[in-house]
Amino acid sequence: MTKKSDENKPRISRRAFLGTGAAAGAASMLPAGPGAQAAPQAAGEATNAKVSPPSPEQMAREVGSALPPSLVERAAQRPGSDLMVQVLRDLEIEYVVSNPGSSFEGLQESIINYGEIPNVMPEFITALHEESAVDMAHGYARSEGKPICALIQGTIGLQHASMAIYQAFLGQVPMIVLVGREDKHFLQQHTADDVAALVRPFTKWDTHPQNIEETLDALQEAYRQSITPPCAPVVVIMDGHIGKEEAGDLRVPAYYPPVIPTITERQADKIAAGLASASNPRISVGRFRTPAGIDSAVELAELVGASTDSRSTSGPMSFPQTHPLTGPGVSTEYDFELGLEVPGAQASVTGPHLRTLDDRDLVGINFGNIRPPVRPTPDTSGDFDLTADAEASLPLIIEATKKRLNGQAKNAIAARTVSHTKANRDNRIAGLREAVESKRPGWNGSPVSLARIYAELWPLIKDLDWCLASPSIFSGRHHVDLWDHDRPYSYLGVYPAAALGYALGASTGAALAAKGRDRIVINIQGDGDFNYSPGSVWTAAHHNLPILTIMHNNRAYHMELMYLQFMAGVRGRGTDRAEIGTTFRDPYINYAKLAEGYGVKSEGPISDPNELSAALARGVESVSNGEPYLIDVLTQPR
Amino acid sequence: MKNIRSSVALVSVCSVLLVATAAGQDSGDTDNGKQLYFDHACYSCHGYGGIGRRNIANNASGILVSEEVFITYLRARADQNPQFPTQTMPNYAASSLSDDDARDIYAFIRTLKDDPPEVDDIPALKGILEDAETGL
Repeated sequence: MTKKSDENKPRISRRAFLGTGAAAGAASMLPAGPGAQAAPQAAGEATNAKVSPPSPEQMAREVGSALPPSLVERAAQRPGSDLMVQVLRDLEIEYVVSNPGSSFEGLQESIINYGEIPNVMPEFITALHEESAVDMAHGYARSEGKPICALIQGTIGLQHASMAIYQAFLGQVPMIVLVGREDKHFLQQHTADDVAALVRPFTKWDTHPQNIEETLDALQEAYRQSITPPCAPVVVIMDGHIGKEEAGDLRVPAYYPPVIPTITERQADKIAAGLASASNPRISVGRFRTPAGIDSAVELAELVGASTDSRSTSGPMSFPQTHPLTGPGVSTEYDFELGLEVPGAQASVTGPHLRTLDDRDLVGINFGNIRPPVRPTPDTSGDFDLTADAEASLPLIIEATKKRLNGQAKNAIAARTVSHTKANRDNRIAGLREAVESKRPGWNGSPVSLARIYAELWPLIKDLDWCLASPSIFSGRHHVDLWDHDRPYSYLGVYPAAALGYALGASTGAALAAKGRDRIVINIQGDGDFNYSPGSVWTAAHHNLPILTIMHNNRAYHMELMYLQFMAGVRGRGTDRAEIGTTFRDPYINYAKLAEGYGVKSEGPISDPNELSAALARGVESVSNGEPYLIDVLTQPR
Repeated sequence: MKNIRSSVALVSVCSVLLVATAAGQDSGDTDNGKQLYFDHACYSCHGYGGIGRRNIANNASGILVSEEVFITYLRARADQNPQFPTQTMPNYAASSLSDDDARDIYAFIRTLKDDPPEVDDIPALKGILEDAETGL
């Protein structure tokens, strides 16, 4: 678990291997090494310092065979890292997910041993890759609407984590990335003067505290920054020696919550006037920050009898899909349309977008939503667009609306609600009739139809508290038609950066959120995505996470196979070689055996559709008992 | 304008049917066609059994009315050079897929049948519908 080796012969660790000179990407941020100190440069002179190889002493420390120094300071009786853990505990941070490193052993020791041992608030979760750690924090945040921490090792861990941080940034999820740093006794390849620069273009905020007191403040501020819209990952650089220092009688500072921007009372009253005077109001609901936003939206919709558009089949934190008011309603001739975190025709309240963070793009990477979009976006602005947090603004709108509703209006609203309820129910049943008919083709085909996986899973989970954590865009999105998405976390949505390697880690993070909440997580897992960082399977086994992984094993990067097929076709050079570089053949991958090797119960590969339902039942039973399960299903491509 | 389009469409359908009638029996080798269907990744869109993003089992596609129509359709996109990746039907040039091979694929596709159970005979789908109808 740690880098301390109990073996007789020294061995080269993964991190040490990188220390042999592969850290060129971070070289410009490295502090001056001994060689550079001997040749000071004039101000403004171009820097091109070479990275020195690690010294024998440094290598000995890295591989764990170093002797204790002859002179040591007495260990702190009340180490600073204990107070840091107390801050995280006070903020109700449930987990710190980490791939252990040699820059934060003081903090890690406090996480596992502070207070009642073993400490589980926050609980240390072992990830096998930094990208997995951040993806887990991402999946957790999407489920719960609040952050946990990813604890990352210096420059090398942060570079591993960077893709996942980028994805979390575009996903606008709250997350605190703690980055261990150590200058005094550390491989210089693992540290830098400005470590956060590696991810600054796609994080919201970062800081580098210099003592215990500053660190405690920094953790609280990181939390505030992360949960204040636009929500996003934030970074705290944690110098390892600070956590080992004596805190003495230092106290944890009082926490104060952030100020979430709302609309004004006057603006709320204008919206209330529109809703109250409309004969057929419409509310469109996007994604709120937390479940509290959903509760308020339901209250408002019921207050005015508005038919409501939900995004709950597209992502988390939206209006319940089967609420009686969800649907087009009795008429689509709406006379007042309000958007909550989405555009609205007459009014909308949407939080600030991360594009407002242009000024953080300090290193000129300039990509994604950090720059103006390449393709012009359509103008969806309404008559009264307000930039504020919808969730925090809803109580103002509700109160203003209540004041405007008299008895006559309430009677009209009651009648309207009855009409909407019947119309939406009829609409839903008509849609379901079409949907179930559309799922029949290929029902008995082998490999297994993806529609059949979703359809046969539903009766097994519909009475449970479930969360579909994996993006479904490549597996047919059949849950949209067949399942009921009524909870904040029913479906966690797509890949924010359209980048593979996310689903397994994010689903594992969702399972962290599910654990202890009598909830199970469904992960319908693409094989290409799985192979980026399969180690999260072990994390699920080690921490007994309720995650059912069903492999969508089509043995290909299927989208790319089709792209290549088209290209070869128009060039007339052979579509019979499009499998090169796009498929998993010779050999095929056996995911059931792979899971078994990681310690997760599994079965498959299943190619006979008649074996599917029983396997799914075994899987659901296992995860309902808190044990992860993997079913390898050979599937149709899409 | 609408009438002109309708007339053109009608003539096209008649032409296809005439060609189909003239084509008679399939001339291809279904076993070789099955291998070629896999090698050329036809399954990527049409599934291993003809059910996928575009269903072609049960001769569901209009391009299956004859070998000639099928081969003409396979060769129809040779001059395209898309700027963006696309998942639409690829071109199959004669240089990489001969007419004989195309006929084999055609013969194989024509054997693909899909006869799924009715919704009432699929408990999972029937249950979903019943739950909605009964308000569960």
